[in-house]
Amino acid sequence: MHESGMEHESEAPPSITTLELFYVFLYVGLSSFGGGTSAWMHREIVERRKLMDDEAFMAGLTIAQVLPGANPVNMSLYLGMQLRGRWGAVLAVIGMVFPAFCVILLLGFLYRSFGQLPMVQVVLGGMAGVGIGATLALAVKAASRRAMRNTVPIVLASITFITVGILRWPMVPVVIVLVPASIAMAYAMEKRKAKNG
Amino acid sequence: MDRLLGLIIVFVPLSLLSFGGGQAIVADIQYQTVVVHPWLTNQQFTDMYAISRAAPGPSTLIAALIGWQVYGFWGALVACLAIYIPSSIVVYTASNWWHRNQESPWRAAIERGLAPIAVGLIFAGIVAVMRAAHIVEVGHIDFLGLATVLAAAALLYKTKISPYVLLGLVAIVYVGVDLIQ
Repeated sequence: MHESGMEHESEAPPSITTLELFYVFLYVGLSSFGGGTSAWMHREIVERRKLMDDEAFMAGLTIAQVLPGANPVNMSLYLGMQLRGRWGAVLAVIGMVFPAFCVILLLGFLYRSFGQLPMVQVVLGGMAGVGIGATLALAVKAASRRAMRNTVPIVLASITFITVGILRWPMVPVVIVLVPASIAMAYAMEKRKAKNG
Repeated sequence: MDRLLGLIIVFVPLSLLSFGGGQAIVADIQYQTVVVHPWLTNQQFTDMYAISRAAPGPSTLIAALIGWQVYGFWGALVACLAIYIPSSIVVYTASNWWHRNQESPWRAAIERGLAPIAVGLIFAGIVAVMRAAHIVEVGHIDFLGLATVLAAAALLYKTKISPYVLLGLVAIVYVGVDLIQ
């Protein structure tokens, strides 16, 4: 039995030290201002340094999206872990988050000093609108994925939306009930599909 | 000290349940930090949402902004760790299982089962922020705000416009409208 599906075959894989890995993610964290993080990671890890094949990278993207947590952080963790184990994971995440964390602290500081100026308030109002619009675009994309084209997922998404968004129920209990229910129904569907197929 | 503990109590469960990324927990972040613990006003929450969406890096860094507001630098650090460490432990633990079980029906079920919850939560977050920003509330619609949301969504969905160009344009429009009024 294979311990891991990820191990490279016979030929020696190109390697990277943990410290180099940290620099790569620090670089990605600095260059991915404005999004597109996974594209930058793909360029560095798969295309330039050939440390991982496309398939393993894509598997990581799915994991990063499906499991809880911010996608760029999860992706750094996955890549760091695959390439350099535990410390690779830790340093990749720190490299990814640290530059953005510094910027956000600076912005938080500026907000405290200037946030109440009338003109700043006007601009922040517009920025909030763009932020919501960006999320709406993301939500429409997510809602039009293949996995959503069925009665059961549509009903489950609607229940989640109405309870948390409209009725303002606390999210934690809602999700704790709905996630296992949704996975169980999806499992039943997978089983039925396997039987019929 | 109580406030640092409060940040941990708010963000750790949200970290574990942030299926679909940071946007899925926005509704509850608003509810927890404006209503349950009155750390922020709706105005402050909306401003922080705007900043975190425009800033580089994952938008979950809104946790760090809120932490900064609640307890200065240490608040920002604690909130940041509270939002990233729990989910990271889950990903770290789960990705080995994930690779060993390529063919498992459970894996497919988890992928399919989590998608609708994530979609519902992201839409819930949109409504929560629109309400906090007084764009769409019961009995009130801010037409400029709503137009901005819809136009930004359409442009970002259909075109490859840079978000920063869009932010610049919107800032100019808002300042212009403000000067005319």
